[in-house]
Amino acid sequence: MKYIVDVNGARLEVEVEADGVRVDGHVVDARLTDVEGTPIHLVTIGNEVHRVASRRGDSRGRYALWMDGYRYEVEALDERMRAIRDLTAADAETTGPRPLVAPMPGLIVRVHAAPGDRVEAGQGLVVMEAMKMENELRTQSVGVVRAVHVSAGMTVEKGALLVEFSQEA
Amino acid sequence: MFNKLLIANRGEIALRIVRACQELGVRSVAVYSDADAQAPHVREADEAVHIGPAPSSESYLKGDRIVEVAKQVAAEATHPGYGFLSEREWFARLVRDSGLVFIGPPAEAIARMGSKIAARQLVIAAGVPVVPGTTEPLRDAAEAAEVAERFGYPVLLKAAAGGGGKGMRVVREARELASSLDAARREALNAFGDDAVYVEKYIEGPRHVEIQVLADQHGTVLSLGERECSVQRRHQKMIEEAPSVAVSPDLRRRMGETAVAAARAAGYVNAGTCEFLLDKNGEFYFLEMNTRLQVEHPVTEFVTGIDIVQWQIRIAAGERLPFPADMTPRGWAIECRITSEDPANGFLPSTGRIEYLHVPSGPGVRWDGGVAAGTTVGLSYDPMLAKLIVWGATRDDAVARMHRALTELTIVGVETSREFHLRVMEDADFRRGDIEIQWLERRLPELIGASPDAARVRAAAIAAALLADRDRHARRGNPASAPGTDATPGGGRGAMDPWIIAARRDGVR
Repeated sequence: MKYIVDVNGARLEVEVEADGVRVDGHVVDARLTDVEGTPIHLVTIGNEVHRVASRRGDSRGRYALWMDGYRYEVEALDERMRAIRDLTAADAETTGPRPLVAPMPGLIVRVHAAPGDRVEAGQGLVVMEAMKMENELRTQSVGVVRAVHVSAGMTVEKGALLVEFSQEA
Repeated sequence: MFNKLLIANRGEIALRIVRACQELGVRSVAVYSDADAQAPHVREADEAVHIGPAPSSESYLKGDRIVEVAKQVAAEATHPGYGFLSEREWFARLVRDSGLVFIGPPAEAIARMGSKIAARQLVIAAGVPVVPGTTEPLRDAAEAAEVAERFGYPVLLKAAAGGGGKGMRVVREARELASSLDAARREALNAFGDDAVYVEKYIEGPRHVEIQVLADQHGTVLSLGERECSVQRRHQKMIEEAPSVAVSPDLRRRMGETAVAAARAAGYVNAGTCEFLLDKNGEFYFLEMNTRLQVEHPVTEFVTGIDIVQWQIRIAAGERLPFPADMTPRGWAIECRITSEDPANGFLPSTGRIEYLHVPSGPGVRWDGGVAAGTTVGLSYDPMLAKLIVWGATRDDAVARMHRALTELTIVGVETSREFHLRVMEDADFRRGDIEIQWLERRLPELIGASPDAARVRAAAIAAALLADRDRHARRGNPASAPGTDATPGGGRGAMDPWIIAARRDGVR
């Protein structure tokens, strides 16, 4: 089975076969085993040994990997799934800027946004307190505030929708 | 020596104190909140008493309740660790007035050094150099603006009762002053219940160098040499080392004498730390004295061979310090604070259950941790999970050893600062010792954005494909046919493959 793998912005093709994997036209012996009694995998590539921790992401094929002292965000999909995802992603780009969500549970300290406000990329809109430190949450792109769902003093859970945007008129 | 000692703290420092007690033959009593019933500090102590719900304001900050418990269990002394009640004058006083021994300085010394403004005045009188600044709390933004103009921007706003970067703001332009003052006051009020803020000249490019002091009850006050803590983010120390590349034997002697003078001026007893800014010309300025055990004390323990926590207890029991006044550090020690913060995501706190923990070991490696596999990391307490400390004959050896130890360290379940520390150990500036307190803020984007080489990326892609392939076969209920993966179920897991269980759970989501 051929997988299209996105790793930290790079795209590689890895074909998993019975006797190993094919990458860049070469077949190498590669195996994944679990270390008994732990959630750790041992990935061997030829004679190389890699100790790997993984966590499944929010959709099929997505993983966070801890390997060789780096953390990787990876997405490994077969060609059909890859094509579907690429189409969906292209579609999402036309639906407007991403909303601001709470990256952690915490207390809303201040809100610097009101519906109709024009915001710049990187502008701080909401200040949250968690673990007794104030953290400023910033926008990712230019847009117009469509709705503000929180106010100072509210406690929110991780992932709570804070501010929504529409694209500039 | 005491028969029994109560530890008014949690996490790694409580465990550190339990260990010192056991080595001294003192019975240790842990206290714990609802969140910590099975925490490592509770498991290792000789006795443990529940003191309240998870929020620290209802448990670890309940000084009166803790003293009551100490009396009930017939403890003779209490060690406050760092944070929580450690620098509360009233708590030290309450402990003493209850007929117990407070393992730390006298309440009067905490009071003298506790307010930064009062401490400045005290040490100036003792001939200690300080950074130019106000000696009174700011009344309002107008006064702040007037003072800032006088010193010239940038200026630093600091909470009078502060610490750990809370209630602190650098102001570079007049137009930022009012909002920064508001923020500093709000943080100060939330963190310390006191919104007094003062302003000082901001010295650019200095190192943070501090001197560990030990003072016994018989008039001996010693410097145990310096620690360099310049690798900071938002005024929070991330990495500490001893000694400092910027401190010569002569400077060490002068800074040591200055710290000892400050400690004497405060009537200090027990372990304390004088923090200094050290500028590029070798001029140093007293910042504050921390009247408690420091998080980073292990690096000093490594290079002096002195067990500071044991000596805190010995000093409180009346023993005399037997060490020479002039100590030369032996070798080099580095500490990395392992926190549940996600460096790839702006260091936002990460919560969850630690599913697996592999602690590094081998020559010259020390792990002072307060977590174990199974520990739930929540938002109630400080995000520091553990400290990884190494010793090497030279600084280069210590850096290489830290890199090796960080590579061994594996924590599954919460995001941690591990990768950040690895990138620092690989950084050319850091390896040269070319650091100052703004270095990290400047270098952070590059350090965090550092990308692995092509061979590593390729290996990660192979691992990802193998994982995805195994999951794919598990979803189809036919794990045995997955090529390149070992589908043998683990012992005791029964017939049902966990990947199938996981896949079915996915299916009903």
